[in-house]
Amino acid sequence: MPDRKMFWRLVRRLFAAQRGRLLVILLALGASAALTAALLNLQVDARDRLTKEFRVFGANIIVAPRDTKSSSAGVATLDESVVEKVRQSLPQRASADSYLYLVASVLSANFSEAVNAVIAGKRTEGINRSSWRSAIVTPRDSKNLCLVGVKAAEQLHLQPTDHVTLKNDKREETCLSEIDDPHGDAQDSQIVVNLDAAQRLASLPRKVSLIQVSVPGTPREIREYIAVLAQSIPDADVHGLRQFTEAEAKIYTRVSGLLTATTALVLALTGLCVMAAMTNVAMERKNDVGLMKAIGGATRRVLRLFLAEAALLGLAGGIVGAAAGLLLSIWLGKTVFGVAARPRLIVYPVSVALTILVAIVSSYPLRRLANISPASVFRGEA
Amino acid sequence: MFLRLVADSFGRRPRRKLLTGAALALGMAVVTAAFSVSLDVGDRLAHEFRALGANLLVTPQADSLPLEIGGVDYRPVNSGAYLPEQDLGKIKTIFWHNNIVGFAPVMEVPAEVSTASSSAAPVKTTLLGTWAHHSVVLPDSRTYATGMDQTNSWWHVDGRWFRDDAPEAIVGKSFAARTIVKPGDTLHINSSDRSIALTVTGILSAAGPEDDAIVAPLQIAQQLANKPGQYRRLYVSALTKPEDDFARRNPTTMNAADLERWSCSPYASSIAYEIKQVLPGVDAHVIRRVAEGEGSILTRVRMLLWLASVAALLAAVLAVGASSAAAVIERRSEIGLMKAIGAGSGTIGFLLAAEQLLLAFVGGGVGYGLGIVLARFLGEKIFGVAPEPSVLVFIVILALAACVTLLGSAIPLHRASRYEPAPILRGE
Repeated sequence: MPDRKMFWRLVRRLFAAQRGRLLVILLALGASAALTAALLNLQVDARDRLTKEFRVFGANIIVAPRDTKSSSAGVATLDESVVEKVRQSLPQRASADSYLYLVASVLSANFSEAVNAVIAGKRTEGINRSSWRSAIVTPRDSKNLCLVGVKAAEQLHLQPTDHVTLKNDKREETCLSEIDDPHGDAQDSQIVVNLDAAQRLASLPRKVSLIQVSVPGTPREIREYIAVLAQSIPDADVHGLRQFTEAEAKIYTRVSGLLTATTALVLALTGLCVMAAMTNVAMERKNDVGLMKAIGGATRRVLRLFLAEAALLGLAGGIVGAAAGLLLSIWLGKTVFGVAARPRLIVYPVSVALTILVAIVSSYPLRRLANISPASVFRGEA
Repeated sequence: MFLRLVADSFGRRPRRKLLTGAALALGMAVVTAAFSVSLDVGDRLAHEFRALGANLLVTPQADSLPLEIGGVDYRPVNSGAYLPEQDLGKIKTIFWHNNIVGFAPVMEVPAEVSTASSSAAPVKTTLLGTWAHHSVVLPDSRTYATGMDQTNSWWHVDGRWFRDDAPEAIVGKSFAARTIVKPGDTLHINSSDRSIALTVTGILSAAGPEDDAIVAPLQIAQQLANKPGQYRRLYVSALTKPEDDFARRNPTTMNAADLERWSCSPYASSIAYEIKQVLPGVDAHVIRRVAEGEGSILTRVRMLLWLASVAALLAAVLAVGASSAAAVIERRSEIGLMKAIGAGSGTIGFLLAAEQLLLAFVGGGVGYGLGIVLARFLGEKIFGVAPEPSVLVFIVILALAACVTLLGSAIPLHRASRYEPAPILRGE
């Protein structure tokens, strides 16, 4: 169709005629595409990253015996088959620690008195994420180490690599001490040993007191996981560690709300920016439009011409800008979270599309061109 | 004449000026909103993090080893040391007293419970004595109300909390399910040879070992344990600054200047240090799991939001700069005319700059107003609390508006100064 051919020829000529001005608009569109892409990518990434970051708090789900017959330490227990079930259901990047608690008397080589202390037998399932530094440290089986809390070490006058004897009834276990970092909570007065040693000591083979699970994810994903886990282990009580899950949910909603708000604001601003640039174009184009109308161009066709130009500019600006924006967000992710943000492929087409949309919507000032009467343009008025 | 020209320019083309002004105001409104929210967000989030509960734990210095599993101490009543309850008001006298959001003392007593309704054998459990919402008398005889409802905000009570001065209690939900106790029932608690009757006011769900315990006023626990006016542990919830390497240094080995800087920052460890100074015979620890997690997340989120604000700022600068450039370009013929009748480039530049500045101040002012409204809306939507308008932001916004409009006009103005009047007037 010759009509269409003419159309594109005109578009080409429009671009060629005003390289300088178009470059400015292209720059504005490119910059806004870059900002949009960077923020969108950061937003998607930050939510994901934040849920992982929350795992510095450690476990967020507790699996405990349903029927706690007595409140004295370590009587109600779970069978290790439950641990196996939990292990099988663990999602990626999650970990589970099983604990068996008992109170035993502790003797050390350089302190004459026996002291009663809480012994926590511990075994970790799943990947050891280096989240909370020493909560993860499990005594290694081979060397038979026990991790002594700072308060317990102080009471027992323990030094690192001292021999420690743990006694419960007639049963005895010995281990080499390793002093834990201070935690500021109950762990400071506990002695952590291997789960097998604790089971022998308590004479509760294949039993655990509770399982602590650390699962990353959005508050909703965690709720769903808890529901699934509770269904698969009907004889145990599965609940979120509400102290952390509640605070996490609150903070997560706040931060993601803030990010959404900022992204929306930036998008609105970039629209404004392009609109200002388009006003310029509209003004400079008065003569062209006057001429086109004078030789019989319909207003609609003339406007379509300019819209096509705006859309092309948006496409070009978007393609270049969004790529730059993704690179920017990788760097930003590195600054904020110490890990480069993963570029999400979905962000790229979305920001290009948004840029084109912004370019077309912001061509609103071109509307003024429709009202131009050719005569007044040629007279040099308007 | 100069002023007349400026006034004329506004008077003759109000619509054009309004458009440029509107773009400026909108851009500045967004920057204002982003800044107001960002300035406020650190404090807001720090408050949100207090939903994590206590970040400091105070225990007696000369204590036997606690037999604590999951927050409940299983030591017998007569073993270990206690702390005097009457000293607690002093906590609100430390330098960082405004940062202390709440505190609650705790004392556990092993107890045998029998319900009035069932004739079954008494059930063994732990009675946790604490404050629900207690008025503490401060040394300057003001009072301060605090307790578990502030330090352990994740505890949900179905019914109501007990009153601190009444023989009332709330029971954990597992315990309630086990003994079929409901609010309004009376529990008979025996510990050693003392006994007391408590009315149940609510069912506690704590998602912790407290679910299997009875929580009662501290003074009830003191009576049962025969330890009047004493407590075993104190949980303190404080607003803190995320710890850095400097915060982790040992205050006893610091020189005077460092020590001052250290204690003048609300680090969890410096607040712990100050609590240790005002309460004799205590050890105050930072609960690392809470404090460090909070610190690392807070630092990241803050940085993230600042970056987002900077992005908003950049976008606003682009928008405002582009629109003020447009405003100058469209006045080419006017500039040509002025030059033709003998105005120097300096005079024209000065005139246009004055116009732009006027526009910047008006637009910036209106933008600030709009931005504050926007920030209030966002703040209320996201945090439920509107950020305080800040004078600092106002000054920054005006300065920014002026800078950006001048910068945006600078390039077209520079070009305009080189215009030859003749071709412009001819319409070329």
